[in-house]
Amino acid sequence: MKIELKNVSHTYDVEVLHQLNLVLEKYNAVALLGVSGSGKSTLIRLMAGLEKPTSGEIFVNDYDVIHDEDYKKHVGFVFQSHNLFPHLTLKRNISLILEKTRGFSLEQANQIAEDNLKLLKLDDQMDKIPKNVSGGQAQRASIARALSLNPDIIFLDEPTASLDPILTDEVLKAIEELRELGKDFVLVTHVISFVKDFANYVVFMENGHIIEQGTPKILDAPKTNELKAFMKKVR
Amino acid sequence: MKTNKNQLRRVLDSKPVSYIFALGVFVLFAILIVSRQLRPFQLSAIEPYWGNIQSGFLNTIWVSFIALVGSLVLGFIFYLLTQSKLKFFKAFTDVFTEIIYGTPLLVMIMIMAFVVGPALGTFNRTATGTLGLIIYITPYMTNIFKSTFGSISEEQYMAMDLFGFSGYQRYRYIIIPQVVRMLMPPLMNNFSLIIKGSALLNVITYRELFYEITQMTNNNFRFVEGFLLMWGLYLIITIPLSQFTKYIDRRYGL
Repeated sequence: MKIELKNVSHTYDVEVLHQLNLVLEKYNAVALLGVSGSGKSTLIRLMAGLEKPTSGEIFVNDYDVIHDEDYKKHVGFVFQSHNLFPHLTLKRNISLILEKTRGFSLEQANQIAEDNLKLLKLDDQMDKIPKNVSGGQAQRASIARALSLNPDIIFLDEPTASLDPILTDEVLKAIEELRELGKDFVLVTHVISFVKDFANYVVFMENGHIIEQGTPKILDAPKTNELKAFMKKVR
Repeated sequence: MKTNKNQLRRVLDSKPVSYIFALGVFVLFAILIVSRQLRPFQLSAIEPYWGNIQSGFLNTIWVSFIALVGSLVLGFIFYLLTQSKLKFFKAFTDVFTEIIYGTPLLVMIMIMAFVVGPALGTFNRTATGTLGLIIYITPYMTNIFKSTFGSISEEQYMAMDLFGFSGYQRYRYIIIPQVVRMLMPPLMNNFSLIIKGSALLNVITYRELFYEITQMTNNNFRFVEGFLLMWGLYLIITIPLSQFTKYIDRRYGL
């Protein structure tokens, strides 16, 4: 996957990202790390095209993220809390999108939904609405939803933030298994052990700046004081 | 012997039996009250008025339904005003809400029927009084629209955007179906509020349940029978309504 950030800044009430620059190639699993409020969730949203930056340019796999409306069709996004539509069954959460926005027939849409839910081991849950399944199952369904749209890149924004340790394991295992599908991943997470296993590039952020970046080895031998302090905190 | 005792305790402590006992307490209380009256309790005294009471009962339901629809529509319009970019509209609905919250329903009905109506050239008190009831309920309706639309998270809109749903599709498949399901329970509660409030329409001589029964008690002085019957008839509407509300919330709640 190719990611390029050029002078990306973003402001809500105050500026949360300051002139970020980043060029990445050939890595297929990138992790964004940092404490809450470091700007990593904002950055992943900008990279996925969910929000437009206040200034700067973003390119992902040669798509102009900000201006190319077609880009969103190639992106899968897994939100912090599953963010499934609460009134639809797990299956319909997926098939509705395929049917209404991707031009599949209802039968095809349902088939694809079922296949992906089965891939995430949700065979028995697919006809339930989100509130009637566990948080881990809902989050896995949300991953199945992202996969169903056959994206090139899957963005995961703290997919386990709202889960207890057991459910966290369950979801992380599911993500681990997705590696075999040959997709690209960008993820935000607090689970360092998972980053070490899963990611092949790490970007560490603090206060809206990129402080340190490199292969996961930097986590074992941090150069900057900020990353040193962060690693102490998460352990 | 011990297991029998335990079994008995389990049955007595079960949910249905507890509710039957609880209901029994209130029935006993009613019987006690009735038995302590000076005059013997004679439901047959009501018979000559039964036709009027029936029509009063139906009128109560009818006027409540009108008020439900009216306040729902008006409440939705006010909700749209609160969402306007023009600050005046938001200020307008805020001031309106404060005034209504501070006003007793009875006063609202009187003002509409005897003050506002005549000023606008109408002496149709049924219409203006009902309008008073509608206006009184409107802010409550606006509130439930606010909370239901507000409970669709920003992230859901983000997802709709990401997946590429058109404006029409968002409302048709995602927003409206959620709003309808979330709206039903508070809407039913407001309906109950309206039914109870409609009793006050008797002051403008609208022939609803309260009016018809007080007409009767004024003629035959059967206050005990009349008021107990009236109470029972209101409960016959409101309690199934609230049970139904709980049911749909359990069944369809999100």
